[in-house]
Amino acid sequence: MERFIDLALSAVLLAGLYATMAYGLGIIYGVLRVVNLAHGGVIMMGAYMGWVLHRKLGVDPYLSIPIVVAASYLLGVAMYRVLVRHLPRGAAGGPASLLLLFGFWLVLRNGAYLLFTGDDQSITTAWSTSSVVVLGSQLSVSRLAVLAIGSVIPVGLHLFLHRTHLGRAIRAVAQNPDSCTLVGVDVERIYGITFGIGTALAGVAGLLSATLFAFNPGSGSSELLKSFVVVVLGGMGSVPGTGLAALILAVVEVFAILVLPSYLTSAVGFVMLVLVLVIRPGGLFGHRVLG
Amino acid sequence: MPLLATRALTKTFGGLRAVDALDLHLEEGEILGVIGPNGAGKTTLFSLIAGSIPPTAGAVLLDGVSMLGRPAFKMVRAGVVRTHQIVKPFPNLSVVENVVVGALHAGGRATGSVRDRAVEVLAFVGLEDRTHAFPGTLTLAGRKRLELARALATAPRVLMLDEVIAGLNPAEAQALATLIRRIRDERQVSVIMIEHVMPAVMSLSDRVVVLDRGRKIAEGTPAEVVNDSVVVDAYLGENHEGGTA
Amino acid sequence: MRSRIRGLAPTPILAGFLLTGAALAVLPLVLELSIYTHNLMTLTFLSVAGALAWNWMGGFLGQVSFGHAATFGVGGFVAARIVLWAPVPAPLAWLVGGLVAGVFALGAHPALRLRGPYFSIATIGLGEATRLLFTYWEDFTGGSSGLSLPIETALKHRLYWWGLGLVVLVTAASWLIRRSGLGLQLLAIKADVDAAADLGVSATFYQDLMIALSGAVVGVTGGMWASYFSFIEPNDMFGFDRSIGFVLMAVIGGVGTVLGPLLGAVVFVLLRQYLLASYPQLYLGVYGLLLIFIILFEPLGLTGLLRRLWQRLSALRGKV
Repeated sequence: MERFIDLALSAVLLAGLYATMAYGLGIIYGVLRVVNLAHGGVIMMGAYMGWVLHRKLGVDPYLSIPIVVAASYLLGVAMYRVLVRHLPRGAAGGPASLLLLFGFWLVLRNGAYLLFTGDDQSITTAWSTSSVVVLGSQLSVSRLAVLAIGSVIPVGLHLFLHRTHLGRAIRAVAQNPDSCTLVGVDVERIYGITFGIGTALAGVAGLLSATLFAFNPGSGSSELLKSFVVVVLGGMGSVPGTGLAALILAVVEVFAILVLPSYLTSAVGFVMLVLVLVIRPGGLFGHRVLG
Repeated sequence: MPLLATRALTKTFGGLRAVDALDLHLEEGEILGVIGPNGAGKTTLFSLIAGSIPPTAGAVLLDGVSMLGRPAFKMVRAGVVRTHQIVKPFPNLSVVENVVVGALHAGGRATGSVRDRAVEVLAFVGLEDRTHAFPGTLTLAGRKRLELARALATAPRVLMLDEVIAGLNPAEAQALATLIRRIRDERQVSVIMIEHVMPAVMSLSDRVVVLDRGRKIAEGTPAEVVNDSVVVDAYLGENHEGGTA
Repeated sequence: MRSRIRGLAPTPILAGFLLTGAALAVLPLVLELSIYTHNLMTLTFLSVAGALAWNWMGGFLGQVSFGHAATFGVGGFVAARIVLWAPVPAPLAWLVGGLVAGVFALGAHPALRLRGPYFSIATIGLGEATRLLFTYWEDFTGGSSGLSLPIETALKHRLYWWGLGLVVLVTAASWLIRRSGLGLQLLAIKADVDAAADLGVSATFYQDLMIALSGAVVGVTGGMWASYFSFIEPNDMFGFDRSIGFVLMAVIGGVGTVLGPLLGAVVFVLLRQYLLASYPQLYLGVYGLLLIFIILFEPLGLTGLLRRLWQRLSALRGKV
């Protein structure tokens, strides 16, 4: 029973991180219909940004969130302006956008190797080793912090999309870019901003992830796949949907330890991805895009 | 025995009954017109017969044999083919290659090489001088003829035409109507056509079925249907000006 | 169907192809190739065969796979295990490895109905799951410490011709597929699955057929690879980077064209050799930039460039 509570709590803590990662991928797909294959690379860059700020400048990882958000946002806007904008959209552009963004991922990876070598890194602060006791389980403070931030971000995003003018414009473009153009919305600008928001979320996810797990320039593929599982499973319909999907993935992964050798637990996510894709092929992202 | 029949064919989407316990039949060598207001379930009916979507209940019979569970590609091989209102040529294949894809699936119903049959069909629909063009360079009338040619290349016994005349100018529409009659007379293909252009469907059809909300509300010769008060209320009445224009 | 469907006249290309094949076959007998060159060419042949086979899925059917390393690894390890178990000729082991890999590839069947990016991402998942499973299965693959085969220098030397033979076979197959009704149906499926079904094309059948054939060929190259290196390790054989290699080779050469992946594989291997020797730290980035430039400026890669060049030349000749 104690083991069960331990596992359940660690699944909940992991879910916050997964939800944050997934939102970055989901909002870009929802609005632009482009799967950002460089998502994993941006997560990796976010981790390194946090690491550099902490290691070289002594900024606490939680305080560096605004800096990482701003930098990742600019990276995303640049990615859109320089690369993605020139692609055909929709089904026809599928393989092309995939390959293009994959190319960008390779460039990011190479850049990280040049700057930081291939060694594993992690962000360790005074928080990392401290823990509190919840329901009889030892919980690390940094995991709790990740959960807290991972819960605040989707709520903030939801409010932004529904309560602000810009957010409503983004949702309108997601539903019908053509009629938005007709009524004078600068769709290109909205696309750029959305790509920026998506990468900003990925950057934060990378930073948060770096406070929990080791990373290197090759990191990102399993983060990409997990984000994809959550987006597909939860749809972009609602904050609870994505949160719930993230929780499902985290629970399945964490509890797989009970029946699988630990080496294979990371395969669970991949298998789930394929299952989810195959079982829900039609309304993958739901029709309530950002609704 | 009719060539093709549906028995209590039903399709529901959520709570909506798009096609509702429909009994239809098509005789050998017949041109059957299917008319009805938008949302009457005409295209859904085609999708059900073509095997593109499975019915909720009921069955489609070809030569009295149930075709239940046969996907679209098997229906084509059995001799039932459809065209689409919004034509879907393969943009990456030339005109003749588009037709060859259909000609590969004529089964035992055709003789001669695939290529020769494709060329023959192109000539039949009047696209022989566009053989090596790509579909993107064709006019709408040309693309509709290509859609017809692809379907004819499968050597169908039943050809389902979904608004193949709609959107054409009067001269093009007239030419296509002539072509449809020739398909029946010269190629011995039985035809079911959905059409909104009333003069065309009334002059071409041997028999007309009127659908409304997934149900058959009238059936008969074009003259009988036009004079049916139920039909006039449900469909022709509301749409009369457009219908006779 | 024998008459040409595209405008290109096949005869000169066919003649050129056969001549090149024959020249490559006698090359090591006539010239004194260094071992380095001989081996590099062997590896190039294996890559060419793999890239061409990947293109059957990624190019002809338009289903871009990021998971072909799975069949490469399965073919490699099955062939290696056969060689270790029984004294069978290596080519037989490669063949069996390829067959098993082809059947294994059919495991992706449920994912085949996914379209565009969904299929691609599912293949990443399948590929990585395969890698983890086989790395875990130490009894079969030796786990992360790998598997060693007896070193056979003569076989390694002869692999040049086996590899060349495979390339000739796979190139001919690509050409035949593209020019036949089969190829037209694959392109029809790529353009519009539903419209293809409405003309009698069974997408499921052809997708299964092509993934099995493609997987089998890549599996055979995996077996040859094992014989060549005499040592294989699951994290390398099944690695994501290897899957990416197939994608890169085809994209560099020209996705969906008949000969593009052949060109692309040659350039890929030579470029890799050069980069690893001179600028190993820029290896990934160069490929990344190459991908970006190709997609943005010449989606048909080298083939597209050559076609443009050819058109320029024809235009010039027309003027003179």
